[in-house]
Amino acid sequence: MIVLLALVLYAAAGIAIAAAFLVFGVTRVLPEPAPVTLGARIVLFPGAVALWPYVLIRWLRSSR
Amino acid sequence: MSAGFRAVQWNRAKLVYDGILLAGVVLYIGAYLALVYWLDPPKDQPAAIDLRIRAFGTCAFFMLTVILSIGPLARLDRRFLPLLYNRRHFGVLTFFVVLLHASFMVEWYAVQNALPSLYDELTKVPDYGKFIGFPFKALGLVALLILFLMAATSHDYWLVFLTPPVWKGLHMALYVAYGLVVMHVALGVMQYDHNPFIPAMLASGFACVTVLHLVAGWRERAGDRAGARGSEGWLSVGPPLSIPDKGARIVAAPDGERIAVFRDGTQIGAFSNLCAHQHGPIGEGRIIDGCVTCPWHGYQYRLKDGCAPPPFTEKLVTYRVRVAHGVVEVDPRPLPPGTPAAIRHE
Repeated sequence: MIVLLALVLYAAAGIAIAAAFLVFGVTRVLPEPAPVTLGARIVLFPGAVALWPYVLIRWLRSSR
Repeated sequence: MSAGFRAVQWNRAKLVYDGILLAGVVLYIGAYLALVYWLDPPKDQPAAIDLRIRAFGTCAFFMLTVILSIGPLARLDRRFLPLLYNRRHFGVLTFFVVLLHASFMVEWYAVQNALPSLYDELTKVPDYGKFIGFPFKALGLVALLILFLMAATSHDYWLVFLTPPVWKGLHMALYVAYGLVVMHVALGVMQYDHNPFIPAMLASGFACVTVLHLVAGWRERAGDRAGARGSEGWLSVGPPLSIPDKGARIVAAPDGERIAVFRDGTQIGAFSNLCAHQHGPIGEGRIIDGCVTCPWHGYQYRLKDGCAPPPFTEKLVTYRVRVAHGVVEVDPRPLPPGTPAAIRHE
């Protein structure tokens, strides 16, 4: 049950962070600026949810 | 190429590829279900769901086997290169087939009001120490998670975000997923269903993937040995005309790095054999419209400096080349990506 709960918490945090990242941060973390269409942002959502700790670290680093 | 990111970069070739892929999956599953319904119709709802589990499970196994065979096949015979072109969509479709296989399994428990037994089965720790009776569904679940991670990060954006070496490393996990699937079948359905089709499918698929990789690896190692030492630590490639016009010869540096030496008429340039996109074997590509073109996805680079033509921004690692005593030599020390290093010979 603990594993399931941890998974749910990971996914919930991932959904929130991925949504914010795809709206505000998705172009800022790239080594060279490039436009990202709305369709691409939707496609990127599952990956951002799965990798959210790393996505968050990269996003915070790019903001400094 | 990455001047911007769209949801899916479909073109006519990719649409045809995806259409054939989807038709193949629908045909396989339709034929499987029709054949079994005709030979031995399921007697109740759980049996009908079990049939769907098997149809999608075997389909996914065949798809994974084909995906893993495409790489070595394309190295052994260039006629298989078109299969490689859109392999990512093949992988994403495989994930959805596996997801449906898993969802039917959950449905199988749900229609019998036995979902808690599924949970118990997965969490019964002592069973993980057994060979017969191992909770094989856990192996399938881990494989599903790996396939999800790969499908979710298959977009070119993630390739740039994670960098090609990390992205490629992550996607090599497909081999782990395949191993888990083989174990999932061997410890699962093969233990209680003695239909000879199952071990035959498993053994032939596994043998096919293993043999193709061994043969392709052996061919590549044989090519590596051809990278003889020239003077001052430079590598001897051979006379200029031994490099095919608008093609390349691949030599191996002492550290194992493969270097692709291209010739376009009288111009010669050398690059790392790893395409900046997905680390495809650029040396197996051709020069098209004056640009070195990767055989995997058509990414292009100028011969003179390894830079993609504007507006694209990818760059290849380049190497210095020279012609000494009628022999092309390459300096195995890499230059920064995009450094002009090509020469002209008479």
